Amino acid sequence: MGGMHGMGPIDAETDEPIFHADWERRMFALWMAAFACGIYDDNEFRHAIERIAPADYLTTSYYEHWLIAMERVMVKKGQFDGADLQAAWGQVNKGAA
Amino acid sequence: MRVLKADDAVSLFMTGGSARIDADVPPKFKAGDDVVARNINPTGHTRLPRYLRGKRGTIHKVHGVFGLPDTMAHGQGETPQNVYSVRFTAQEVWGATASAHDSLYIDLWDDYLDPV
Repeated sequence: MGGMHGMGPIDAETDEPIFHADWERRMFALWMAAFACGIYDDNEFRHAIERIAPADYLTTSYYEHWLIAMERVMVKKGQFDGADLQAAWGQVNKGAA
Repeated sequence: MRVLKADDAVSLFMTGGSARIDADVPPKFKAGDDVVARNINPTGHTRLPRYLRGKRGTIHKVHGVFGLPDTMAHGQGETPQNVYSVRFTAQEVWGATASAHDSLYIDLWDDYLDPV
């Protein structure tokens, strides 16, 4: 965190897996595919991550940052709209209930 | 739109790709030059970390020409320019209580640097 103190020690895992859950694997693949297809530029994506509200940023995981930024960039690029996204999350939440 | 085929994905990920730009832009600095990171505070994207603004470092290596993230992130073009590995001592960045033996090497763009 750029030399900031107060974040506690770094939690170094032994034999850290590349992905901690299957959805992270899909997130990685989706990012690479959309990037290779030229939908966004990586700088644009980094900026979307930077725009996550600080409290949200600090309480979400690495790939959750990707997911939040991906949703915003894809809406901005017209790949889907906010209603599509809401409907998709509705399905996810129904599945989880 | 370009399409990434599954058969091509593995080789792409194993070899990677370069963001280097084939443009003839002369570098403003050479290895060994002393520089100071500009104190800029843009509202948009930048790869110049806050903790380096106003700090003095030394050019370690010239990487070549790349696009400037500050403009690329906002659809304002590549602004091709040289990128350098710049060395800052830990004490320059974090003060006298930091290690006297450590340094930070970081990649910075021409637009982030001034001569000392």
